[in-house]
Amino acid sequence: MQLLQRLGRLPVLLAFPALGVLLVVFGIPIVRLFLTSLNAPEFSLANYQMFLGQPANIRVLFQTVEISAIATFVCLVIGYPTAYVMVAASKPVRMALLVLVVIPYLTSFLARTYAWIVILGDTGLINNLLLYFGLISGPLQLIFNRMAVYVGMVHIMLPMMILPLVSVMIGIDKSLMSAARSMGARPFTAFWRVFFPLSLPGVRSGSLLVFVICLGFYITPAALGGLGDAMLSTFIAAQVQTSFNVARIAAASFVLLAIAVVVLSMLGLDLSGSAPSGQIARKSWLPRPPPFGALKGKFGELPMPYRAKRWAAHLYKAGGEERWLKIVGPAFIALVMAFLLFPEIVVIIMSFSAGAFLEFPPSGLSLQWYRSFFGDPAWYMAAWTTIQIGVAVTILSTVLGTLAALGLSRAAPQARRLLTMVILTPITIPVIVVGVATYLGLIDLGLVGSQTGIVFAHTIGAMGYVAVIVSATLANFDRRLEQAAQSMRAGPLQTFMRVTLPLIRPGIIGGAIFAFVHSFDEVVITSLVSGFSVYTLPLKMWENIRNEVDPTVAAVASLLTLLPVLWMIALYLTWWRSRPQVNLSISEAKG
Amino acid sequence: MSDSSVLKKQNSLLKIWPTTHATAGATATPSGPSHLEDDRLEPSSIPAQIEFRSVTKTYGQATAVNDLSLSVRRGEFLTILGPSGSGKTTALMLLAGFVAPTKGDILIAGKSVAAVPAYRRDQGIVFQSYALFPHLTVRRNLEFPLEMRGIGAAERAKRVDSILERVHLREFDSRMPSQLSGGQQQRVALARALIADPPILLLDEPLGALDRNLREQMQGEIKSLHREFGKTTICVTHDQEEALTLSDRIVVMRAGKIEQTDTPETLYDRPMTRFVANFLGEANILEDLGFEVESDAAQPSGTVGMIRPERVCIAATGEPKRADADRRQFAIGTVDDMIYAGPLRKYNVRVGDSLLVVRQHVASGQQIFRLGDEVKLDWLRSDVRFVAT
Repeated sequence: MQLLQRLGRLPVLLAFPALGVLLVVFGIPIVRLFLTSLNAPEFSLANYQMFLGQPANIRVLFQTVEISAIATFVCLVIGYPTAYVMVAASKPVRMALLVLVVIPYLTSFLARTYAWIVILGDTGLINNLLLYFGLISGPLQLIFNRMAVYVGMVHIMLPMMILPLVSVMIGIDKSLMSAARSMGARPFTAFWRVFFPLSLPGVRSGSLLVFVICLGFYITPAALGGLGDAMLSTFIAAQVQTSFNVARIAAASFVLLAIAVVVLSMLGLDLSGSAPSGQIARKSWLPRPPPFGALKGKFGELPMPYRAKRWAAHLYKAGGEERWLKIVGPAFIALVMAFLLFPEIVVIIMSFSAGAFLEFPPSGLSLQWYRSFFGDPAWYMAAWTTIQIGVAVTILSTVLGTLAALGLSRAAPQARRLLTMVILTPITIPVIVVGVATYLGLIDLGLVGSQTGIVFAHTIGAMGYVAVIVSATLANFDRRLEQAAQSMRAGPLQTFMRVTLPLIRPGIIGGAIFAFVHSFDEVVITSLVSGFSVYTLPLKMWENIRNEVDPTVAAVASLLTLLPVLWMIALYLTWWRSRPQVNLSISEAKG
Repeated sequence: MSDSSVLKKQNSLLKIWPTTHATAGATATPSGPSHLEDDRLEPSSIPAQIEFRSVTKTYGQATAVNDLSLSVRRGEFLTILGPSGSGKTTALMLLAGFVAPTKGDILIAGKSVAAVPAYRRDQGIVFQSYALFPHLTVRRNLEFPLEMRGIGAAERAKRVDSILERVHLREFDSRMPSQLSGGQQQRVALARALIADPPILLLDEPLGALDRNLREQMQGEIKSLHREFGKTTICVTHDQEEALTLSDRIVVMRAGKIEQTDTPETLYDRPMTRFVANFLGEANILEDLGFEVESDAAQPSGTVGMIRPERVCIAATGEPKRADADRRQFAIGTVDDMIYAGPLRKYNVRVGDSLLVVRQHVASGQQIFRLGDEVKLDWLRSDVRFVAT
């Protein structure tokens, strides 16, 4: 009891277990990695000079930035109008579209990457279709080139662009647009001068998120790209697994980290200021006829006084300019949703293939690949290991992350900002860097190649997700409810159990689901710390995709696409049902 | 409130607290120690229920409450009134135990509560936002304080039923708080604060979230609940009307300090400082008029004359002198503005370099003055007050 009271007075202590794990598994190693890269204690830049002295490295470096930047840009160009149409849609339609965006987000990205191999491969969907219609005589080289990399990466990253955009756009007061139009702004001008600037925070966070993930995430480029499309992270991962020269790896990791930090701060500055935002802003509007739209916006401002007089008429008129949006909007959304979901359907069909090798459409139907999955201990044991790890990660990270969120929500603002940043580091810097640091940390703990080690490696990222989601829930939590409970003689523990916990439970469960998904899907860090002795399902899939491309992967991937449906049901049950609507009917029935 | 409903209330009250509070209310004889009239007769014989002893609370450089000393009698309704940032809410939070004083001590029933955490202080609190638990029904909300005191289910149900009856929400017991209107939520919050029968009731801006009509209705409700239950009540508000109608005594706070403590009538009629005069109602500060202010009493140094707008008469300059003209002071001015407000007419009259506000009840046959009219103002010299600047 006394301990609880003391904790109540120094709430920041609640974040310490999470910070402790983070420090040991990731914090100390990354500092050591940095010192190693500088050849401490002599301190020299020799490793960096060596890294940058090789033209091949420079080429890979530019390629990494180029691929990441283009993928981010394409995501923004597709994602912004998608988010805009989603927000403009009616509430049920918006909910349905959100579910359609979240399903691929929660689906194993290896399953989705695999789907693109099926679609783009030499005997894949597109080639077979074109051959069938006699449009080509031999298969086109659609895969293992840069184009395939972009298609796959945009597919993987698009939900992560759309979701932040939607969350910001939904918060924009729609009456502002009406107000702008009542002052004589045309629909486009109203959008451009009012809506767009207000949506920039979403553009910024979506772009940053996608860009950083692209930098560190090499699986999809490696699977879909050719040899010439290697990313710096591929290079780092290969080095960790083959020649473990810590100094060189450290230098490469910090070069990557530096690029991330520099580009992020530049992008951050550009978009937060008002003047230079125009450039990026214009890019995002490409899907509309760009020169015409921009000119129209400029000219539209000239006859302002005249139009201002007709504002009342404008207010009640639906606006002819918007009519074409009614057709183009749904068509565009349908295309985007098809792009997001079609690969999953292809994988499910593929998993019932009777053929002995990869081809689409399958020549016959059978359950052979499911039998192969459930009959092969290597596969189902990998799945079992992954579930065990996932459950352990979920429990550990949910407890640590929730405690951290509770502590941070009660801490002083400066401490909160700093510690939140620290706790989120593993999910805000390129994942390969986290992987290298964690690998070093687990070596020190003697946990490389053990399930426990993988649990810790996953937990540092997963607890960041939990902390973010629980913090968001706590932000809407009225602290006076706790005071009210205390004024009614509820002690700290009773207050937490009876008032705080029930009210933040949806956040905790949501966080737990994300923690599990994070662990269940993680392959970059796992591949570094597994030491070839622990096989998780993603690791096994990745190996399989790289080496033999055996359709058993399709069966696994197909099973994995069913998981997000389960997650959605779980989220629905905790989030939607937690609203107190059921009781209305009960009380009315009683009355 | 009709007589029968008062009787009904009394009965329902008897059902909840059969022994302790049966004496409260209009029909009972004033014998119990909790009765307000008694306290007023012999204030010194009853120990203070709540006492602030030189309490100071600082947040970093900022001082929220500065050397506050205050004692509250048992059964008293005391309102702490002040503008935002005056430290009134901090004072309440200090008493509730959510905030610890930097210096000084708080005593409840003669004992220091410095080491007593909020959840052992036994106070009912009504929060500004009501703080009803959104995940619990009205009934479960009301049961909460009883459960925390280990009261059994049967007794809980009985008490909840009777208090719901009292606040006219019997049929709402299975609703969630979000399904109630603002006024209903307010009544649940009051009921929840009272149900466990704590000796002290704290109200934090209790009516701040309600619209005007509902606020007046709830003022009556709070007043009658206080009369029945006889709780020592401390209310914090920035609404002067609320303070005037509800309180036995009002503490006016400014910048963390007490400006004046008095009964509503004394506070309004005899404000001691210019701040109090202006904060509680409207005040004409008699300066820069171009003449000396006369009064029956001598003007202390460091003070300025003040008169309430309703004490000033307005008349045409040609009007004959009144019978009591020798007890009055006169001033000639020009009408600067006139505001019609239903039963009242408000004139702003420029006298010298000063604008005086005159509040006149609308009556038939009254002369109405227009902008720029020259008018004669006069007031009784005995109505002039001197307030510290």
